[in-house]
Amino acid sequence: MPKVQNSPKASQNLSAGSEFWAGVCEEMPLIFGVAPFGLVFGVLGLESGLTPWQTILMSSILFGGASQIVFAQLWAAGVPALIVGGSVCVINMRHVLYSASIAAYLRHLPLRWRILLGYLLTDEAYAISIRRFQHEPPGPNQHFHLLGSGMLLWTSWQFSTIFGVLVGGTIPDSWSLSLSFAVPLTFIAIVAPILKTRADLAAAVTAGTIAILGQPLPWNLWLITAAIGGILAGWLVSRLNHQAGATS
Amino acid sequence: MIWFIMIAAGLFTFATRFIMLSNGISNRPPQWLVDALGFVPIAVLTAIIVPAILIDPADQTIALWDNPRLFAAALAIIAALVTRQMITTIAVGIVALWVLQWAM
Repeated sequence: MPKVQNSPKASQNLSAGSEFWAGVCEEMPLIFGVAPFGLVFGVLGLESGLTPWQTILMSSILFGGASQIVFAQLWAAGVPALIVGGSVCVINMRHVLYSASIAAYLRHLPLRWRILLGYLLTDEAYAISIRRFQHEPPGPNQHFHLLGSGMLLWTSWQFSTIFGVLVGGTIPDSWSLSLSFAVPLTFIAIVAPILKTRADLAAAVTAGTIAILGQPLPWNLWLITAAIGGILAGWLVSRLNHQAGATS
Repeated sequence: MIWFIMIAAGLFTFATRFIMLSNGISNRPPQWLVDALGFVPIAVLTAIIVPAILIDPADQTIALWDNPRLFAAALAIIAALVTRQMITTIAVGIVALWVLQWAM
C-alpha cells in the first residue's frame, strides 16, 4: 500500500511492488462485478454447446466479457463463422480508445512490456489505472500499477469462468431459463448507470428498436445492425447537440 | 473452425488494445472515431438486452404485458441505478423473475 500518498514528492518514487499492490487494491472493488459476469459466461458457454476447454480458453484468448457472450450465443445459433468473428470485432473496437488514451504513459517501455500491458488492457483495468496515471505524480514504476490491476482482473476472470464451467454442468434444466436471464441483467448493470446524455439515450433506443425489428434478418444479423445503428444514432445526436451549442 | 475464429478474433482484439502502444502510430485516432467508439458499449449491450427481455424464448414472439421478464428487468434497472452494483442488480432481477413467474 502507498503509505505516503498525500505527499507528492515521496510518492514519485514508489517501488515497483508498491505500485503493483496499489493497482491490485484499487481494482479489488470491481471484482465484485467481474466475478458474477465470468460465472455467467462459464455457465452460458456450456449451454451454448461449447466444450469446457473452448469456454475456459476463450476467456484467455478473447479476454472480453461481452464479446465472449456474443460469441457463444451466435455460435449456438449456428451463425456463419465470419459473422460471429465480425460481431466480436465490432464489440471490441472500443479498446482502441483505451490504447490511445493510455499510450503516453507506456510508450517508453520495452516491447515485451507493451505487449503484456496491451493484452491486459480491459475496460476495468483501464478505468482504474488511467486514474493513477492522470491524477497522481508520475513515477518510474507506474506501469506496475496497470500490471497489478490487469493481473487481478485477468486472474478473477479466469477463475470465475472455470468456476462457472464446473457448476454449469450440475445446474438442473429448470434453472437454465432464469440463468440465461442473467446475461441481460449483467448488461443492465453496466448500461443503466452510464446512460447520461440525450445522445446516450438515442444510441440505446435505436439499438434496442433495431434489435427487435431486425429479428427476421438471417444469421442473427440484427445484432450487428442494431449495434452499428445505435453507434450512428448516438454519434449523430452528439454532433447535432454540439452544433446547436456552438451556434447559440 | 471454432478455434480458428476464436484465435482470429482474439488476435484482432489484442490488436485493438496494442495498436496505439505499438509506436508505429503516433497520432490519436480522429475525433469522429473517438466520439463514435464511445457509444459502442451502450449500443451493443442494449441490442443484446432488449430482445433477451421482450422475445419469448418458448415461441420467439414479442411478449409485453404477460411477460415476467419485462417487469423483472424494470426492477433490475432501478436496482442498477440505485446501487450501481452488478451482483445486486443480477440478484434483484433473478429473484423478481422467480416471484413473477410463480405469481403470473
